Parts: sequence; structure tokens; C-alpha cells
Amino acid sequence: MTELRIAIVDDHSIFRSGLRAELDAGLEVVGEAATVDEAIALVGAVRPRVVLLDVHLPGGNGGGGAEVIQRSAASSPETLFLALSVSDAADDVVRVIRAGARGYITKSSSGAEVSDAARRVADGDAVFSPRLAGFVLDAFGAAAGETAATHDELDRLSQREQEVMRLIARGYSYREVATELYISVKTVETHVSAVLRKLQLSNRHELTAWALERKLL
Amino acid sequence: MDTTATIVRPRLRVVGGVCAGVADHLGVPVAVVRTVAVLLALCGGAGILLYAWLWATTPVAEAAREPRMRESLTSPAGSRTSGAAGEPGGGPRAEQLRRAPVTEILLGLALIGAGGALVASRLGVEVPLAVVIPGIVVLAGVALAWRQFADLRAGGTASGPTLVVRSLGALVLVATGILLFFITGETPNVWTVVVAAVSVLLGVGLVALPWVVRLARDLGAERAAHERAAERAEIAAHLHDSVLQTLALIQQKAGAQSEAARLARAQERELRDWLFDTAPADDRDLASELRRLAAVIEEDHAVRFELVTVGASVPAPESLLAAGREAMLNAARHAGGDVSIFLEVGRERIELIVTDRGPGVNLDAIPADRLGVRESIIGRLKRAGGTAAIGPGRGGTGTEVRLTLPVAATAASAQGAGPLAPEAAVPAGPAPTEPASSAPADPARPAGSDSPEPASSGAERENGAP
Repeated sequence: MTELRIAIVDDHSIFRSGLRAELDAGLEVVGEAATVDEAIALVGAVRPRVVLLDVHLPGGNGGGGAEVIQRSAASSPETLFLALSVSDAADDVVRVIRAGARGYITKSSSGAEVSDAARRVADGDAVFSPRLAGFVLDAFGAAAGETAATHDELDRLSQREQEVMRLIARGYSYREVATELYISVKTVETHVSAVLRKLQLSNRHELTAWALERKLL
Repeated sequence: MDTTATIVRPRLRVVGGVCAGVADHLGVPVAVVRTVAVLLALCGGAGILLYAWLWATTPVAEAAREPRMRESLTSPAGSRTSGAAGEPGGGPRAEQLRRAPVTEILLGLALIGAGGALVASRLGVEVPLAVVIPGIVVLAGVALAWRQFADLRAGGTASGPTLVVRSLGALVLVATGILLFFITGETPNVWTVVVAAVSVLLGVGLVALPWVVRLARDLGAERAAHERAAERAEIAAHLHDSVLQTLALIQQKAGAQSEAARLARAQERELRDWLFDTAPADDRDLASELRRLAAVIEEDHAVRFELVTVGASVPAPESLLAAGREAMLNAARHAGGDVSIFLEVGRERIELIVTDRGPGVNLDAIPADRLGVRESIIGRLKRAGGTAAIGPGRGGTGTEVRLTLPVAATAASAQGAGPLAPEAAVPAGPAPTEPASSAPADPARPAGSDSPEPASSGAERENGAP
């Protein structure tokens, strides 16, 4: 297994060094950055496979992590972003997800969890924290009984997607979700990716309005 | 004499209750007051005017328990006015000396003036009506403006439309009065013009004053609030960038079970609550109750709750909350570590699932004399019309407590159990746990518990909400 090249973007050196020390051996940290501008330059220069990206970053045009994702797309299209946030505020997280991040985890996650999430993102999968899954269920009206009728509907989740999101919201790993629903892990990943796509593309007003209204994701 | 401190009109009344009120106030028989009133009414209508004035300015009995100044007539100025109108006033009260009911005085003066003028003109006296009528109108206008001003100063929250109507009335009256003054002046010279101009300015100023005062006050308050918000945002940004990050790092390094992580997490929660002001408007909301509960339990146990809530905000049903509390406590005591709590408020039912990764629970192995789980979770929820299922958690390890309560049962009727939660299709795990659905099916069986405490503790905790 080749080493996974990752970059850590966070404006706190204490967090960067702490995370760096905690990451698994299979991950190679090829660079660190503390601001939006540094991050964009770094990504363009070293082209890491995965960037662990803080949602809140100084510099640039004030867009934080979302700005890094958007402005790095041209220089390094193959780089994937995993959002790390301490704020848990829905609007922050939804913003980076919609900017193109492949997942979101909280900063209090352990080094092993972060490593695992980074690998999953590198494999092309999406990473949902329980809270993000809960937010998605809420934002797409799953609790109110809304279910997508067709597969390509962007504004609602399919029955299966809702089931997957419910289990993730309850702390299940993908493997556990797969066992629970009698499907393969790959299918679980497909569902999660589909939900991520909806989260990024949907125009449901709840995604933005809700996030602003309740900062509890 | 058993007199009332202020004139209040009784609720049971013949016409307007004024005579009865005055009689109560003075300790004089009602008949005497009525006779006087009738006699006064015959004097060119003065009694009627007085009656109308008193009717307009005295409060109704019940509302008068705490008489507001502008409605009471017992201050010295007020009683002097009523004395001038032919009624001896009540005793002055020291604390009321500070603010005179200027409105009532002015309104009274205007009415007395009108009445007097009517009487005089009836008796054939040459009354300069051209002066008297505008004067009266001006007095009334000033009184209304004053009343509005006093309201504002007292912080009285007059409703918007009332305020507007009153202010407009004051404005119209003052302007009309002054205009009349000006027009009826028979020989206009420089002085009358100057006086009229100054009067108009004063009148408008008086009417506008309350608005100016309020505008200035609102502006000041708004600016202060804005400054506070800006300051708070700055502090929040700083704390967010420093302390929260450090706390996250401590948790990441220390691991969920450790004391350091527990402390860091508690601090983080407190700080976050303060920073983001997450306290919801409705404190009895189920999600926030659970969140508070999780915080309390985390303080005493090596456990980390991951609480995810989905759906609308609902008031916490006591049964579900108490059963959930018991499930959380059990998870904290017997499993520890990461425990996930999932709350989904759907249209038809509320579902609360507590999942831990502990050693699992075997209901059959629990001594029959322990009541904990059966009574405090399963029995309680069943009585409330819901269902409780206890079984192995994800992947067959740990314990999963699934509580379901139909929304209909959270309303008054606790009748008719809702749709049972779909049984988790879990393959037989290593933990030899009994399928939970059988437990609520047989509530009569002597209940067992894995709780080391006597059963009553669960019930006691019900009342001791955090």
C-alpha cells in the first residue's frame, strides 16, 4: 500500500503538530499551511491526495476552508478535501461541503479516526460524522416523512439513503451499516456518496436557512 | 369612615359607576352624591361634564388595586381640582406627591372652563367665546400630549395604535386651538402673530417631544446592544480560535475514557453553550433536555455521549425522558466510552435510541428482585403508550435501547401503543441477550434489573431534573 500523501491546513500550529503526531504510519504529511493563501499555494505546489482542512481559516477573501477548496480546484483537480471543524456550526460545515469537500469530521476525533477518514476520502468515498448525518436527515425532510420517488431527485433522500444516514447518525461504521442492512460496504459507500452529492447540489432552502437558524450540527 | 384611597368605579353600576365611586371614596351615602350630581347637571350641564370627566379619568374597581398615577385622583393637585369642581378631595399620599396627574388636571380645567362658559353665557354674561373655545381646545390638546409623554417616561408600554391615535389627537387639537386663536384675533398686530407662531412651535414641539425622547432612547439602546454584540463576537472569535481548539486537541490526545478528556469535554460544552448561545427558547424541549442530561451524566462517569437529534422540537414527554435517562445512566455505568444517542421526532412517533459498545446486557441474568431496567425503562414507557426494546447493539456488541413513543401518546391520552419500532435485524451476536421485544410483552413478570441501586432511585431521579 503506497503512502497516502496528505496536507494539514489549520491556523493553529499546536493542532497541526498534534494531528501530525497522531496520524497512522501509512499517511505521509507532505505539507502544512496556516492561512487560505498558504493553503492554496501549498496545494498547487505539492498536490497532495487529501487535504485535512480546517473550516475556519484566516486570510484570502475571508472565505475560510471553502475558499481554499474553490481556488485550489484549478491547480490541483485531483486533490480531495476532508473538512475538520471544531465549531460544529451547520452553516460552516455545509459551506465547505457545498464547496466540494468530501466529508466532515470533528476535531476531537482521534488520530486513528482521522486517518481512517482520510483513507476513505482518498478512495473516493464520502465521510459523514453522526452529526452531519443527522443534519442531512433534517435538512432533507426525512424526519417529516419525505422520501424521494426517483433516484435522481436532488431535494429528497431515498428510503435506503435515509436508512444509511440514520445508522450513521447513530454512530455506526460503514461496515456495521452494511451488516445491519444486509448490503455490501461498497453499497453503503455508494449511498453516502449519493447523499453527499445531493448535499452539494440540492437547492433545498433548508440547507442554508436551517443551517443559519440552528447552529447545532 | 371606611373610605377608599382613590376613586374607583365599582363593576356593578347604574350609569357609569361614578357616583358610587365618589360615595365610596368620600364615605358619603350614594344618594347624596347622586342628588348633588343631578343638581349640578341642572346648572347649565356642569354636572354632566363633571360626571363625564370623572368617568373618563377614574379606573374601574379591579384594575385599581394598583392604581396608576395618571388614573388616580388622590394626589394633592388632583384633589384640589376635584375640590374646585365642588367635591372635597381625599387625603394626599406622600409617595404620590412626586408626580401630579397633569393630564387629568388639564382635562379637568378644560371641561370646567367649558362648563363655566356655558353657564355664564346662559346667565347673559358676555363671554369671549372666541378666546375661551380655542383655549379649552389647547388645554385638552396639551393634556393629551402630556399624557403620552408621561407614559413614555414611566416606561409604560402603550400599544402602537393607541399611541398614534392619542398623538394625532393631541397634534390636531393643539394646531386647531392655535389656528383659532390666530383667526379670531380681531386686530392682528405684530404681537399676536409672534405669539401665535411661538405657540404653534411650542405645541408641535410638545407633541413631538415624546417621539424625540423615544427615538433618542431607542437609538442609544440600539447602539449599546450593537456594541455588546460586537464585543461578544470578538471574544467568541478569540475563544473559538484558541480555547476550543486546545480543548479539542486534549480530547483527541487523551482518549474518550480519560479524566482529562472528560474535563476538556465538559469545558468545551460550557464554552460552546456560551459562545453560540445554544440555549433554546423552549427549555422543556426534548432535545435540549437530553443534551443537558448528557452533560450531567458525563460529569460523573467516564462516558462520552454523541447526541444527534433529528426532527421538530417537541416538549419533553416525561415518560420518554425518564426512561431515556435510565438508559443513558446504564450505558454510562456499565459500558462507558462512546455512547451514541439518536433522537428522531417524526410525524407519528418519537424514537430515542441509546447505543453503547459495552459488554452487553442479558435481561435473563438479572436478579428478579432488581427493578431497574424492567420497571424504569420498559414498564414506564409501556404505561405511557410506547414501547421499549433492549437488545445487542451494532454488529452484535454492546447494548442498544430503543424507545418509541407515538406522538399521539405524548398528548393527553396515553392510550393505544403506537407502531412498534421495526426490530433491528441484527445477526446473533456474541452477547447472549434476550430479544428485547419480549420484555414489554410480559410486564407482569417480576421485573429484573442490572442496576446496582434499589429501584426507587430511578423513580426519585424522575423528579430531580438536572
